Parts: sequence; structure tokens; C-alpha cells
Amino acid sequence: MVEKPRMAIGERRGLRAWVKQKLPGILDFIAFVRTNTPAKAGFTILFTLIAIAVFAPWIAPYDPEEPVGLPLQPPSPKHWLGTNDMGQDIFSELIYGTRISLFIGFVAAFIGTMMGTLIGLVAGYRGGLVDEVLMRITDMWLSMPTLLFTIFLVAVFSRLPQGTIMMAVIAAIALTAWPSVARLIRSAVIRLKEEPYIEAALAVGASHTRVMFRHILPNVTPLIIVEVITVTAIAMLTEASLAFLGLGDPTAKSWGMIIHYAMERNALFLGLWWWFIPPGLMISIAVLSVMLIGLGLEEYLNPRLRRGPRI
Amino acid sequence: MGISGFLARRAVTSIVTFFAIITLVFFLARLTGDPLAELENDPRISPETLQAIRAMFGLDKPLHEQYVAYIQNLLRGELGYSLHYGRPVMEVILEKLPYTLALLVPAITLSNYLAYKIGLEIGWRRGTRTDVVFLTVSIIFRSVPYFWLAMLFLYVFSVQLGVTPMFGATSPGMTFSWTWEWFADYLWHYVLPFTVLVVRATLAYMLYVRNAVIDLLGEDYVWTAHAKGMPVDYVKKKYVGRNALLPIVTLLGLRYAFLIDGAILTETVFSYPGTGRLVFEAIYNRDFWLLQGVVVILASSVIVANFIIDLIYALLDPRVKLR
Repeated sequence: MVEKPRMAIGERRGLRAWVKQKLPGILDFIAFVRTNTPAKAGFTILFTLIAIAVFAPWIAPYDPEEPVGLPLQPPSPKHWLGTNDMGQDIFSELIYGTRISLFIGFVAAFIGTMMGTLIGLVAGYRGGLVDEVLMRITDMWLSMPTLLFTIFLVAVFSRLPQGTIMMAVIAAIALTAWPSVARLIRSAVIRLKEEPYIEAALAVGASHTRVMFRHILPNVTPLIIVEVITVTAIAMLTEASLAFLGLGDPTAKSWGMIIHYAMERNALFLGLWWWFIPPGLMISIAVLSVMLIGLGLEEYLNPRLRRGPRI
Repeated sequence: MGISGFLARRAVTSIVTFFAIITLVFFLARLTGDPLAELENDPRISPETLQAIRAMFGLDKPLHEQYVAYIQNLLRGELGYSLHYGRPVMEVILEKLPYTLALLVPAITLSNYLAYKIGLEIGWRRGTRTDVVFLTVSIIFRSVPYFWLAMLFLYVFSVQLGVTPMFGATSPGMTFSWTWEWFADYLWHYVLPFTVLVVRATLAYMLYVRNAVIDLLGEDYVWTAHAKGMPVDYVKKKYVGRNALLPIVTLLGLRYAFLIDGAILTETVFSYPGTGRLVFEAIYNRDFWLLQGVVVILASSVIVANFIIDLIYALLDPRVKLR
């Protein structure tokens, strides 16, 4: 196969030009986000949360792991969201919790989506028996209660001598998140592999692996991005549920873990609302931001939806 | 191939799925650690006792022999021994299962009914203010963690207003009997967890119905019905509504699975003595065999539910007979 020259003659310099040439979709996408309300709102919230996570030590007034006040204090100017049973500042816990919750959500979603993509790609491209077996497994996994199996997997993985609970949580979420991705990618691949350019690539001697990864994969990338976003929302909710049930890392307190401790100390019955309401709100806001981005992305990638709802 | 052929095929799939799940559970549980690891560090148990327990449960045998024994035991309804309860796992689960099923079956029925009614309505009126309001409410509710929603309900209705009980399926000291008194007490405890499950499930399913309805609105036969001047309401109910039922029935199994996840969280929040709360207790007490048993039983219930749904589907969709 003749290698094409990688750069066009008379290529312009500069970041914008580079972006325009290498990632032609990006600028178009940014322009779209500016006009799309859900996507704009979603990105604004998400970037704010990421900033909070990154700059946590500068934003949080106290060290979240140190007892810095009297226990179980209601909100006051000194402790904006009061303190917990150990006298830790709940506002600071929330700020630091952003790191854990976002990290687990994104990493688990990323791994899960990659697994799903790989399985969907192979099943869709290979077809036949491979497809049959992989899709049977996918459907079986899809029909099971996700949270129940995630809990079981965390319980199993956390018995392994090596590894941390956080790794167990990430692995468990990823292992239960892939089936829906695999189904979606598979059906897209089946449509794509009939395209003439795939036949052309094969005719000039490209290997199947090359066709899969160099010709089909780039074409399902938009779909993968939407899936990463959708799965992130699910992953964040699952992480919160696991932590709530007590399957979280005690050394890395996520929002869900804060609620777990609050429930364990009967915060609900004692009316200590500042302990369990704010972390729940944070989870909801984070998940909502991701869902809004997903909504916007779907509209971006499916121009039929762009015109807005018909009357 | 008629209905019986279709059902026979589904039955085979169900059995294969069942064996796949229990095999997966067995190997995951065995390959990652010693089932008696929790006892190993217990100073009250001597190495000889541990050895004796190991022999008693057959844990000193090779893995494939253990696997065969595990399958045989499972088919006999033996799921091991709960270390926390000090009773066979099966016994514990069977005692709790009625509470969960009594919660799930009415919840799935009511939420599907509501989702169907609302979904048909907002799909029919897509783009109107009603539609937008429901869509917004739905996306917000789907962003809220399940357990936290349940906590808010409990906090508002039980702690603040004091109209519903704080925990349990019945008041402490109340024992089961076929009396109105017991039933009223049970219902009083039932309302809140049931409402949480129904609200959450309805808002999630509603969207599937809405999208199915919107797809149907573009069908030729719907246009034809309109064109020949059929009453609008008739087209909505008989032409669109009827056909929107099929995608709903297909997804019933997934909804049952989704409700099980909901029950795990809801029962934990409300301290409801069902199978869902057993999951939490098993985690809390590090009772691995109990957890494994609950997973096997609930997964089997999903398989059974899916088979029943296939049965309903076969009766509803005449095309199945032709396949």
C-alpha cells in the first residue's frame, strides 16, 4: 500500500490551524456547544466540578480528615455545612470528595466503554459463531440486575490480596457496564462493514485487524464518545450506591461514603440534614451535568434531532 | 415453528443462562480467595477446627469435585451456610423473599401502567409544554441517586412529618397473622418504599414508551387512519397505543432486574426485611455465602421472570406463531 504524504503542501502553522487540520470536528463541535443549551449547561457544571477537584486544597477551608471542630455542629459561618460525628468539616469533605467521585466515575466508564467497544467491534466485524457467542454473553449479562452483580464483583475482588477497594470498585463497575456499549457498537459495525471503502481496503491487502482498527474504529468514534458520557453517569451513580452500601474505600471518602457514614450514625433520624443532603445534591448535580452533555452530544451527532421537537 | 417451538427455545436459553450464572458465581467466589478466610484470623478457632470445617464443607477436595458438589447442592436447594445468621442460606432467603416479591410485583405492575399512560400521552403531544415538563422531571430524577431519593422520602415523611414509620415491614413486636390489624400495620410500612420504587421506575420507563410512540407516529397506517378521518382519540388508543405495548413487554425483564437493584437500596434505607436488605447485611457482616446465595436466587428469579415475559409476549404477538 502506498503511503500518502501525511501533510498537505502549504500547511498553515499555529494551534488553530493544527486543530483544524488534525481534528476537523472539534471546532464545529465547540460552535455547536455554544448554541445548545443542555450541552452548554452540562459542560459549565462539569468544568466547574473538575476545577473544584483539581484545586481542592485551595478551596477547602479545612483538612477533611482532621477533627477541626466540635462534633455534629449545624452549619455556621465557621463550618459552612457543619461537622460530622468526628468533628470533620463537611464542606471540606465535599470538596475533596469531588476528586474521588469524578475519578472513579470517569475511569470506570472509560474502561467499561473500551471493553464494550472491543467486544462490539470483534463481534460485529467477525460475525458468525464469534458474534453469536459474544452476543449471547452480552445479552445474558445485560439481563441481570446490574447493581447486584457489581456488589458481588466488588465483594469478590476485594478479597484478592493485592489491590485496593477503589480498584475493586472501578473493575466491578467496568465489568458490568460494557454490555450495552458492545450491543450499540456491534450494530454500528455491522452497518459499516458493508461500505465500499472496507471492501477496497481489503482488496488492496489490508489485514482484518487493520481494517477493524484503522477503518471501522475511527468511524464509530463519535458513538464511543457518547457512550463514555452515558456510562459515566451510570458509573457515578453506581459508585455512590456501592459506597452507600459500605463498599467504598474508607481512606478515600467519596460523596457516597459521606452518606454511608451519615446513615451509620443515624444522621437521618437525628435530623442532621447538613450531613446527608449536600453530598446527595453533589452526586445529583454531577450526574445531571454528564447527562446534559450526553443529551447535547446525541443531538450533535444525530442531526435529525437538531431541528428540535416537532409539534 | 409455533408457540411451543418458540417457548422450547427460550426454555433452553433460560437453562443455559442459569448454568452460566451459577458457574460464574462459583469460579469468581473460589478463585479469588479462601471461603473461610474470614475465620482464619479468628483467634477463637484453632487450625485443627479450621481443618475440620474445611473437610466438612469439602473445601479440601480438588476444584472440579467442589464444582460438581456445588451444582448438586444447588439443585437440591442448598446454598451453603450463613455465618452471621448461623442458619442455612436458603432458609434465610426464603424467609425474606416474600417481603421483596410483595414489594416488586405490585411496583412493576403499577409503574408500567403509569409509564404506559404518561408515555403515550407525552409521546402523542411531543414538543408541547407537558412533554417538556415530564422530560425535565425525568432527567432530574434519573440524576438523583436511588438511595438518596429514598432517604429524602424517609426524612420528609417519617422524621419531619411523622406520618409514616421509621423502619421495618411491621411494627416491632407485631407477629404475622391473618388479621386486619396486622395487614393495616403492614400497609402503613409498605407505602413509603413502594412509592419510591414506583416513582423512580415510572419516570425511567416513561421515556421508552414515549420514544416508541413517537416512532409509531410516523408509520403509514397511522397517517392512513388520520387521513380517512378516524376519531383522533381512537387512533391514539387503538392504533398507536396498542402497538406501543410490544416494545414495553419486551423490556419488562430488564425492568424487573432494574427494580431488584432498586429494592436493594430502598430496603436498606427503610430497614425493610427483604432479600434486598440481605445484600447490605451480607456486606456489613462479611457474610460471603449469604451474598452468593442472594445473587444466585435473585438472578434465577430474573431468569424465571424473563421466561414468563416471553410467554406473555408469545400470546400477545401473533407473529411469534409464524416464526
